[in-house]
Amino acid sequence: MKTFIAILGATTVLGVVGSAFAADAGQLAMGKERFDYWCDTCHAGDPREAGRFLPGTASLNAKYNGSRPGALVDRTDLLPPYVELVIRKGMEGMPFFRKTEISDTEMKAIAAYLSRNTRQ
Amino acid sequence: MPIKLPPGISAATFAEAVKEFQGAVGADWVFTSEEDLDTYRDAYSISWGHDDEYLASAAVAPDTVEQVQAVVRIANKYKIPVYAISTGKNLTYGGSAPTYSGSVVVDLKRMKRVLKVDDKRNFALVEPGCSYYDLYQHIKDRGLKVWIDCPDPGWGSPIGNALDHGIGYTASPYRDHWGAHCGMEVVLPNGEIMRTGMGASPTSDTWQDYKYAVGPHVDGLFAQGNFGIVTKMGFWLFPQPESWMTGTVHVPKYSDYSALVDHCNYLEDAHLATGQTGYGSNLGGQGVTAAPEYRALMANGWPTIEQLDAYAAQRKVPAWRAKLQFYGPEKAVRASWAYAQRRISAAIPGATFTDVEFSTLPLSPAQEKTHHLVNFGIPNMAIFQIVARPAAGPNNANPYDGHTDFFAVVSRSGSEVFRAMKAVYDIQKELKIDPITATPFSSPVTWHHKVFFMGAGGVGNQRGDAEHNRRMRALYAAYIEKMAAAGFPAYRTNPGAQDLLVKQFSFNDHALLRFQEALKDAVDPNGILSPGRYGIWPKHLRQKKA
Ligand SMILES: Cc1cc2nc3c(=O)[nH]c(=O)nc-3n(C[C@H](O)[C@H](O)[C@H](O)COP(=O)(O)OP(=O)(O)OC[C@H]3O[C@@H](n4cnc5c(N)ncnc54)[C@H](O)[C@@H]3O)c2cc1C
Ligand code: HEC
Repeated sequence: MKTFIAILGATTVLGVVGSAFAADAGQLAMGKERFDYWCDTCHAGDPREAGRFLPGTASLNAKYNGSRPGALVDRTDLLPPYVELVIRKGMEGMPFFRKTEISDTEMKAIAAYLSRNTRQ
Repeated sequence: MPIKLPPGISAATFAEAVKEFQGAVGADWVFTSEEDLDTYRDAYSISWGHDDEYLASAAVAPDTVEQVQAVVRIANKYKIPVYAISTGKNLTYGGSAPTYSGSVVVDLKRMKRVLKVDDKRNFALVEPGCSYYDLYQHIKDRGLKVWIDCPDPGWGSPIGNALDHGIGYTASPYRDHWGAHCGMEVVLPNGEIMRTGMGASPTSDTWQDYKYAVGPHVDGLFAQGNFGIVTKMGFWLFPQPESWMTGTVHVPKYSDYSALVDHCNYLEDAHLATGQTGYGSNLGGQGVTAAPEYRALMANGWPTIEQLDAYAAQRKVPAWRAKLQFYGPEKAVRASWAYAQRRISAAIPGATFTDVEFSTLPLSPAQEKTHHLVNFGIPNMAIFQIVARPAAGPNNANPYDGHTDFFAVVSRSGSEVFRAMKAVYDIQKELKIDPITATPFSSPVTWHHKVFFMGAGGVGNQRGDAEHNRRMRALYAAYIEKMAAAGFPAYRTNPGAQDLLVKQFSFNDHALLRFQEALKDAVDPNGILSPGRYGIWPKHLRQKKA
């Protein structure tokens, strides 16, 4: 039993040591998964529904008029605190999200995902 | 926004209650900070930032039925009003905010389990937090052969939507979400659990098949009502059809509209063209009211049917069209469309038929990008284009941040539609609004299969603009009263207007509301559950209001 616990302990330690990378990839994966679930239907890059458009992408195209990509996943200027603010406060026609919908951990993951190409 | 306490409750008592709520659901799932409570405001409120905005004092998010019971018992102990939401996306009709300021929102989003989907008997049993997306994905992942029927916004829930008489887009009768429910589990205001219909039988297997059981069918009390917190609900599902077909009927004369409606009613009620019929006028559409010939037509007030017939003849386009939709086996849908053409050709001289399309189902991924997804039971959010920032115009710099609209219940008859469109026109004239949404070419929507809903024009919200919001509230109130006076009450409204809407249902000195109030007093003596929802107030608040 003792050896078993020792092995388990070692794995746990390894897990913690690796987490600087692993957690990042895990967080980005969670961020993408949650973005696809909650945000993609309004913010995707590809058009959907003939004659209709995606409200988030269309709004941002109208706002930036070509100076920034309409799709959030293509942006290279988003910073996590800004994304988090928009998630909790909403923006124009985009309503805000409650913690029961998107927890703080998930919110941070989405923010990290949308900021993955931003150079600081 | 400063935090509101429940009316009549001291800060110390409230703190005690909050502690008990934390004990019941866990401290992480009780929200009391201003920051958290901001997410329980109604994002599309037309009272945003005003004294009469509806604000929660706290939010509690249970994960199990037992926790819901505990929350209700605590609320009773402290006489604190609570307000249940499922997914809380009731934008336009209250969002995730309560109908009585100071209420504690019971947020059921965490209870999102799909309990059962049966694709032989074609039903689902779900929890409140389960969204249309969740149910759709559950079915897809398992390759089950049933469709859901979703409203335009896919992030709402079968339960929350049905409990506000929501509607959708596939075949009748599934578009009527309340009508398509079967069996519910409810936590009553005293904390007890009740199951309705065959769910009351400890031995029957038919809870999601047979609504009635024996005796009075009480389910209706829980929709647009405040008699319990629904924790489970069953829904009948449309067995996945093999194919879909559409074709559009055009009729030449303006006065042909009544006959067109009658035939479309026949086709839907006889289960031949069960999809949503899309009515429109080839004389209407965007920009029509600016055209000189339209201005001339309307110069002397609302035109007669004869004048409208002459107008259509001059313009040389068929006055009306109806897009029919068919679901079923290929041979059946083709035969139904052929029959529809024969039937309408024989009855309406000059009828023509266009835009025929046939497809096997499910749609291919490519078709999913080109078809109106909700007609195929596929949840999405494209409808929010109506609040998107436009590419040009004044709202490019200052886009709307919400949307409010008004839909009146109108019978499926041409003459009633004509009356309703004129009623909207008269109201807009009286209120000195340029009647751009009220023309003789307006069309009803066919979300519900037994009635039309006539819109009176959606309005964009501006959270920060007090004057704009004041005008919107006045306009909304005018629509409710004046349309009801003309025979067309609304089917649903935002919390600020629910008292006014309910007041329009006044037969025999408001006998219906008085009956509901008597039940409320008996079932919820402390008046803790969703006070004020659709005009039903507990005794102590009723007396205060009177
Ligand atoms: C652009 C736009 C388009 C829309 N299109 C449609 C449409 O096509 N069809 C349509 O029907 N609606 C439509 N709506 C209105 C609304 O968004 C939807 O009806 C939505 O599904 C309702 O929100 P929900 O499902 O999250 O319900 P919730 O917000 O969870 O619930 C609605 C209300 O029901 C009551 N309730 C909810 N759960 C419970 C419970 N468990 N126990 C007791 N009471 C409960 C509460 O009073 C609650 O406020 C639209 C809104 C907008 C802004
Ligand atoms: C109902 C559709 C909708 C959904 C769902 C939605 N958004 Fe939005 N979002 C919008 C709209 C519309 C705007 C643009 C408002 C404007 O015109 O400025 C926007 C703007 C934004 C912006 C601001 C970008 C900028 O350049 O300022 C961010 C960031 C954002 N959304 C993130 C998200 C995230 C993250 C999610 C999912 C958690 C999400 N949105 C879900 C509609 C939506």
